[in-house]
Amino acid sequence: MSSAHSPLHREIATLYTDHHGWLQGWLRKKLGDVHQAADLAHDTFVRLLAREEPVQAREPRAFLTTVAQRVVANHYRRQQLERAYLEALAQAPQAAALSPEERALLLEALDEIDRLLDGLPAPVRRAFLMAQLDGMKQADIARALGVSLTTVKRYLVQAGMRCYFAVAP
Amino acid sequence: MTVPPEVARRAVEWWLLLQDGDLPEPQRRAWQAWRAADALHEQAWQRITAVNARLADLAAPQQAAIARAALAPRGPARRRVAQTLAVLAFGAGVAWQLEQRTPWRTWVADVRTARGERRRLVLEDGTQLVLNGASALDIAYGPQFRRLRLLEGEVLITTAPDRHQPARGFAVQTAAGEAQALGTRFAVRALAGGGTWVGVFEGAVRLTPRDAAGEALVLPAGRQATLRTQGVSAPAAVHEDSTAWIEGMLVARGMPLADMLAALQPYSAARLVCAPEVAHLRVSGTYPLDDVPHVLAALGALPGLRVRTLARWWGRQEVVAEAAPR
Repeated sequence: MSSAHSPLHREIATLYTDHHGWLQGWLRKKLGDVHQAADLAHDTFVRLLAREEPVQAREPRAFLTTVAQRVVANHYRRQQLERAYLEALAQAPQAAALSPEERALLLEALDEIDRLLDGLPAPVRRAFLMAQLDGMKQADIARALGVSLTTVKRYLVQAGMRCYFAVAP
Repeated sequence: MTVPPEVARRAVEWWLLLQDGDLPEPQRRAWQAWRAADALHEQAWQRITAVNARLADLAAPQQAAIARAALAPRGPARRRVAQTLAVLAFGAGVAWQLEQRTPWRTWVADVRTARGERRRLVLEDGTQLVLNGASALDIAYGPQFRRLRLLEGEVLITTAPDRHQPARGFAVQTAAGEAQALGTRFAVRALAGGGTWVGVFEGAVRLTPRDAAGEALVLPAGRQATLRTQGVSAPAAVHEDSTAWIEGMLVARGMPLADMLAALQPYSAARLVCAPEVAHLRVSGTYPLDDVPHVLAALGALPGLRVRTLARWWGRQEVVAEAAPR
């Protein structure tokens, strides 16, 4: 447990006073939007506070941009997911039956899985969704993707292992 | 103890294998042997079960098409819209399959019945089971205890005295707790809300809520009660009629309409929905379980009641019982 006076928090407070303005400027140049830059700079420091180990960065600005880049990538990923989600809602007749709470919960669940599958090759991702969301058999997936059954098995194990390690024991 | 990656991988492989369809008996035994072989194997298995539970939520019919479209691999924006449309159209074809698929949890159960199916079986100790439609059960007989785990649906049990030395106790576990037989014939039903209904026809059954704080209760013959994780409801009288399903009949004597529809559900492909204004309406009569459309037509003829069939998403049907317009 870290308290407000832990070395980590003191360190991040220092990073914040010294470099927050600079980081916001860096993000503004990258994103071209003042408000988004402010939000993501904030997210970057929040992410640092969640760490358990002190930062001890010798080059604080290089370190901050590395973390901020991850925050930006995650922001784009989430934005894309939301857009795809809204499109899907608009086109799915059954969406009308979902309450606003259910929609919010669904988006959260989708975000969790999307993050999990992030960076997996498209065919692996597609095979995994066919198996898990559609309940398709491996042989049918192989036919649909035009690959061998062995390949489908490899894809599914690859995605399955990610899920395994992502779920808290 | 942390699970080594190769054990995790094996758990993932078993999971995918079981998910892919009915496993032949030797392979099912191999899977069970693998789980039992090492505590780490079981630990890895439990973890992959948690993964499965989360994914199963998304595969629910109302959400699967949206989830599929939103999570599809992303190409350039334009292509994505076309792709989304394509997968939604594709979704209509596989939706039926999804509905037909028994939930994964019950795939791995030792015994299960399909919708509309009833099954009798005699266990090694002479205990007789009758499974109602859409039910799933694990059987775990060990040197010290005879235990069943009801995953879904309903089972009627007539226990036999154990010839094993020393004699082993007999109990049914559910999500809500445990029902321990004290020489008996009794029925256990998993309710939609997570509770467990128990009716005792001979002997007695001890009900123990899952949470240690909840007090256990001994239910004698002729009584019924609902077991929940926190405690047990006040017992009420139970009639032998409530086991008529083993003969394929539903006997209602002033039965609330909502309960009647719940009893019909394991025999109906369409979802049966009871409007709140008629949920407490009392219904009487003897109805054939294997002809649900006929029963619904009879209900629709009752004064003040209307039964409508609605086409829901992907051609799935929903039957709604509601107050008739004046």
